[in-house]
Amino acid sequence: MTRPSQRSEALVLRYTDYGEADRILTLLTAEYGLQKGFAGAARKSRKRFGATIEPFTRAVFSWRDGRGQLWSLQDADLVAAHFGLRNDIKRLAVASYGVELVELLLHEGEAQPLIYALMCSFLSFLDQQGNPETARLLVELRLIYLLGYVPHLLHCSECLRIFHAEPIRFDIARGGSLCLDCAGRTGVDIALGTVGSLSRTLKVAHDQFQGFQFGRKTLQEAQFILSQVLDSVLPREPKSLKFLAQL
Amino acid sequence: MLGSLPTFARLEAELSKLPGIGGKTAARLAFHLLRTNEHDVTALADALLEMRRNVRFCRRCFHIAESDVCGICTQDSRDKQRLCVVQEPQDLLAIERCRAYNGLYHVLHGALSPLDGIGPDDLKIAQLMERLDREPIEELILATNFTVEGEATALYLAHLCKERKLRVTRLAHGIPSGSDLEYIDAGTVQQAVDGRRELQFK
Ligand SMILES: [Zn+2]
Ligand SMILES: [Zn+2]
Repeated sequence: MTRPSQRSEALVLRYTDYGEADRILTLLTAEYGLQKGFAGAARKSRKRFGATIEPFTRAVFSWRDGRGQLWSLQDADLVAAHFGLRNDIKRLAVASYGVELVELLLHEGEAQPLIYALMCSFLSFLDQQGNPETARLLVELRLIYLLGYVPHLLHCSECLRIFHAEPIRFDIARGGSLCLDCAGRTGVDIALGTVGSLSRTLKVAHDQFQGFQFGRKTLQEAQFILSQVLDSVLPREPKSLKFLAQL
Repeated sequence: MLGSLPTFARLEAELSKLPGIGGKTAARLAFHLLRTNEHDVTALADALLEMRRNVRFCRRCFHIAESDVCGICTQDSRDKQRLCVVQEPQDLLAIERCRAYNGLYHVLHGALSPLDGIGPDDLKIAQLMERLDREPIEELILATNFTVEGEATALYLAHLCKERKLRVTRLAHGIPSGSDLEYIDAGTVQQAVDGRRELQFK
């Protein structure tokens, strides 16, 4: 009657405590995308799950089909605990923000191998004390790209003219970058360097985080552009964003 | 099924609001109370009401108290130069049980959680800083949990205290005493290795 258990590598995004000792984990996997798993008695005994039932952990879980869509988790082998995230509140906040974006943007059960690889590198980069601003820009931009929300950057959204010089305006309601003729009174001025950097960044492998150096202005303008895109697609404001603002 | 038993259904509904109590446990408790004599049931109901009326949070340390200031804050024998910060009153009680600590406490009532949007303003952190201004505290012991949230909170508090003339310490953690290394999970072993300390020879 009991089917053999399967094994899947996953990132733990979040948990909810259930009953006296159980825990429900929100997992991100390559093959199944977002997936909920039930870890029975996980809070009482550390034997089966150890430190793997904490957010940001990467582990290989053995599971069986459980009630409804819930996996019944059997045990887990740690791949990376990412304890480095606990040494820096800013990095932890950015890691939480990336994880919350994934939860808000993905549907349960859809295979997401590229997003899985992206999130593994994102957490490992922050764990290794990578720059949090860079990590935030890269994860926002790449999630937007992989989910098909990337705006027009290096050409005008409406007349498709390619930009070789400023001025460039940006207005997400009209598709992204705009030339002055098309923009009229709408949009916000944006530097050619910023849209250029973003579009060059998209040509780099999506799981690469090392070796980026963004200037102050690029970071600021990119954050404005990416927040506009995210505001237009997110079902609600991420809670971790409010936390980041408090730091 | 319980439509014709509104009083019983109401008790069940109230019990199932308690943490860790699902529908089945609520029903079991309700049936148990049904069979309990009236005296014991009244005692339980009184205890609940009196707790609600009399128990509050200490205005100094935010531990539970039956007057403005709790029993620990008013104890003369306490070492007033040490302050131990915990997440919840239960954590304070756990430290009291070990009898190894005789200083004062501060209960935060939670931990920072970026994922849930729980920031510094949602905890008793401003009140802690006021105490550090006012009281002659020399050592701040961070005893928040060893979870992501607890560690983040400890880190944040340590950061806030950077400029103060204060010794900031964190509880040690790692391998539980009395256990064999081979049976400990990888994460715990990693933390124990990271947090290893020099052996002192005298
Ligand atoms: Zn145009
Ligand atoms: Zn007190």
